[in-house]
Amino acid sequence: MTYFSLSRRSLLTAAATLPFLPRVARAERTPGTLTFGLSSYPPTLAPWANSGTAAATIKLLIYRGLLSYDKDGKLRGELAEKWERDGDTAWVFHLRDAVFQNSAPVTSEDVKWTIAQVADEKSTAYLKNEMQTVQQVETPDPRTVRIVTKQPTATLPLWFVNFHMPIIAKGSTDNGGTPVGAGPYVLKGQERGVSLDLVAFDKFYKPGLPKTKNLRVVVYADENLRAAALQAGDVDLIEYVPWQSMQAIGSDPRLKLDTTDGPYMFLLFNGKAKPFDDPRVRQAIGHAIRRDEVVKTAFFGRGAPLEGLPIPADSEFYDAAKEKLWNYDTDKAKALLKEANLADGFSCTMLSTAQYSMHKTTAEVCQQHLAEIGIQVQLNLPDWPTRVSLGNRGQFEFGVQGSSADNNDPDGLSQVIDGELTPSYGRSFALPTPKLHELLAAGRAEFDPAKRRAIYDQVQTVAFEQAPIVPLCWRAQGYGMAKELTGFHNLPGALTFYSGITLEDSAIG
Amino acid sequence: MSWFLRRLAVSIGLVWVVATIVFLAIHLVPGDPAELLLSQGGVAPDPSAVAELRTQLGLDRPILVQYASSMARLLHGDLGRSLQDDTSVAQEIGRRLPRTLELIGAAMLLAVAIGVPTGTAAAVRRGGIGDRIATALSGVALSVPVFVLGTVMVFIFAQRLHWVPAGGYVAFAQSPGMHLLLLSMPATAIGIGLAAVIFRMSRAAVLDLAGRDFVRTARAKGLAPGRILRHHVLRNALLPVVTIVALHLGSLLGGTVLVEYVFNWPGLSGLLVSAVIARDYPEVIGVVLTISVLFVALNFVVDILYAVLDPRVRYG
Repeated sequence: MTYFSLSRRSLLTAAATLPFLPRVARAERTPGTLTFGLSSYPPTLAPWANSGTAAATIKLLIYRGLLSYDKDGKLRGELAEKWERDGDTAWVFHLRDAVFQNSAPVTSEDVKWTIAQVADEKSTAYLKNEMQTVQQVETPDPRTVRIVTKQPTATLPLWFVNFHMPIIAKGSTDNGGTPVGAGPYVLKGQERGVSLDLVAFDKFYKPGLPKTKNLRVVVYADENLRAAALQAGDVDLIEYVPWQSMQAIGSDPRLKLDTTDGPYMFLLFNGKAKPFDDPRVRQAIGHAIRRDEVVKTAFFGRGAPLEGLPIPADSEFYDAAKEKLWNYDTDKAKALLKEANLADGFSCTMLSTAQYSMHKTTAEVCQQHLAEIGIQVQLNLPDWPTRVSLGNRGQFEFGVQGSSADNNDPDGLSQVIDGELTPSYGRSFALPTPKLHELLAAGRAEFDPAKRRAIYDQVQTVAFEQAPIVPLCWRAQGYGMAKELTGFHNLPGALTFYSGITLEDSAIG
Repeated sequence: MSWFLRRLAVSIGLVWVVATIVFLAIHLVPGDPAELLLSQGGVAPDPSAVAELRTQLGLDRPILVQYASSMARLLHGDLGRSLQDDTSVAQEIGRRLPRTLELIGAAMLLAVAIGVPTGTAAAVRRGGIGDRIATALSGVALSVPVFVLGTVMVFIFAQRLHWVPAGGYVAFAQSPGMHLLLLSMPATAIGIGLAAVIFRMSRAAVLDLAGRDFVRTARAKGLAPGRILRHHVLRNALLPVVTIVALHLGSLLGGTVLVEYVFNWPGLSGLLVSAVIARDYPEVIGVVLTISVLFVALNFVVDILYAVLDPRVRYG
C-alpha cells in the first residue's frame, strides 16, 4: 500500500508553481456562437418605448424598421428597399419581399398598423408626437406605403430608422401578445437580469445573414468586470468600454478597440432660478470652463472639448467658425457677469448625480473652474432617479447632463436645445427659446440642403446668444472586441448606439 | 400554546410593520418609475407617454389606495408584478433567493473550514510564528473591503492567470463544474473576511477555555491533550463561534450586494439594488419582505428553541 503524504515544503512548492502553469481560457468558445457583454439588462423589449440603449441593441436584432444605417452612418433600406419624397408632404416607401418571424409577409398594412399604434393617444411610444403629425397612411398595394404628413417633413426618413420605430406584425401585440418583428435573430430564451439567447432567423430577408448562428448576450453591469470579461476571453465583444480601460484594451494584442465621439456632456439651467434666467450669466459660465480638463478628469482623456453646439466635424452642417463660440476666456466671463450686475459673483447649487462617476466628476471640475470667476457652487449629488425627478420638476438651479442626439442630423439637437418643448430633465427648465424653436421647425420642413445649412447656421448663432445649454465635451463611446471578430463596427458619432445593427455581419474568425 | 400563538402574532405584526415602512419609504423618496422607464439613455420622455404609463401601472391612484391594494395583495400571498416588465415578483425572488443562500452557505462553509482549525491551532501554539502570521493575516483580511478583494481576485485569477471566468452565473443543472467554478470566487471573497472573524473568535475562546478549572482537572486526570482539546475545549469554544456565524448569516442575506455586483452573481441583493434604482415598488417591497420574513422566522425558531431548552423563557 502506498501512502500519499503532503509535506509543508511540497505544498509551498506546488503553490509557487501555480502562476507559471500554461494559461487556460476558461470560457472555451463554442463554434457558431458570439458572446456579447452588455452593460445592462433591457428593462423591457416593448418595441416602441424608449427603454435604453441596451434594449435598443436587442431590438435591432429581433425587430426591424423601414430603414437603418450602414457602417458609415449613411441611410440604407431595410424592410423598405427604396423610398422617395412625393411632393412636400408625402413620402413613399417600397417594401421588399420580407417575412416576419411568424412567417407572415411584411406588408404595407403592417406599416400602417404600426404607425397607428405609435400615434395612439394611449401609446407610450418614444416617437408618439412625431407619428401624430402623420395625417394619413395610404396603402395602394401590399408593398407600397405612402405617408402623408400635416406639414412638410424633411427628416421623416430619420423617424423610420430609429430603433424605437420597428415595424411589427399587425395585431401581434393585441391583448398583451408578444410583438413579432422581422429582425435577423429570434429571441430563444432569456434569464431576467442575467442573459439573453438569440438564434438566427432562417427566413431573414438578407441572404447569407446573419453570419453567426447563435448570439449569447450576457449582462455585466459592473464596467470593470465587463472589461475584465473581455480580457479574460469570456466574451467576444463588449459595449460601453470604461474610459479607464480603453488604454489596456487598445494595447492588448488579442483585442481591438473601436471608439467614436458621439455622446456629449453639457450644463443645463433652470430659467426660474435667478440669475440663470439671464443669458449673460449662462454665457459667462460657458467661457469659464476649461473643457480639456473635463475630458482628462472625467473621461481619462477619451473625448474632445466641445465649445460649440455638438455638430460633428464631418457633418455637412458643421461650421468651423462656430466651433469655439464658448471658448475659455475668464476675462470675457467676468465682463459678462459684471454686465449682469454680478461682478462679485454669486452662490448657487449644481445638480448632478453620484451614481455615475462621469456626471459627478464633470460637476466637480466645473465647480472648481466657476470658483475662479467668483461663482461659488455647492454640489447636489443624489442618486439617478432623484436626479431625473428633480430635473423634470424644475427643482434645481443648474446641472450637469449627458446625452446623445437621435441622429447625426442637427435636428437631433432639438430635444436638448428647444426650450419650447415640454419640461424634461434632459434640457433646461423654463427657458423659452421661441426663435430657436422656429428655426428648428423650419430646418425640419426644408428639403433644400443649402437652405437647411443656412438655417442650422443661424441655429448655432442663436444658441450661442441664448445659451439654453453650455456644451462641455464629447465623450468617447467604445466597443471592445476580440481581434478575430469581423464585421462589427462602431457607427460614427451619435449613431454609436445603433452599432448593434452590424451584429448581423459579425462573425468570429 | 398561548405563548406560541402570541409569538406568532408578534412575528406577523413585525412583517406588517416592515411592509408598511418599506412601502412608505420607497414611495416617499423622489423618483417616478414611469418617468424612469421612459427616460433611459438621457433621453427626454414625452409627458403624455409618462402620464399614460402611470395610469397603466396604477401609479396615478392616491397613495392610500395604492397602499391598501398592496397590503391586500400581500395578505393573499401575492407579491405582485414588476413595474418594469410585468414579471411575477414571487417567481423572480424564487429564482434569486436560492443563489444568495448558496453563496452565503458556501462562504460560511469556507470560513468555518479555515477559521476554526487555524484559530484553534494558533491558540494551542500561542505566540509562535504560525500564530503571529495567522493573526497578522486575519487583520489584513478584516481590513480589506470585500469589493477590493473581489476586484483583485478577478484581476489575478481571471485576467492574468485565466483560471476562472471573470464572473457570471451558470445553473448547476446546466454545467455543475462551471457552476462551482463561478461560485468559488464570490464565495471566497466573502469567506475570507468571515474566516478572519471566526479565526479570532475561535482563538480567543480556546485561549479562554484552556485556562479554566475543568481543563486543568482533565489534564490532572491524565487525559491526552488532543482529547482534552477536542472534547472539552473545542466543544465549548464553538458556542460563541456558532453565535457569530448565526449573526453573520442574517446580515449577509441582504448584504452580499457588492460581491454579487463585482462577480456578476445574480442573487437577491443585486435584484434589490436594481429594483431600488428603477423604483420598482412591488419588487422592492417583495425582496425586503422576503428578507425580513426570513429574519423574523429565524428569530421565531430561535425563540422556540430557547423555550424548549429553557422553560423559564415560557413563563418569564
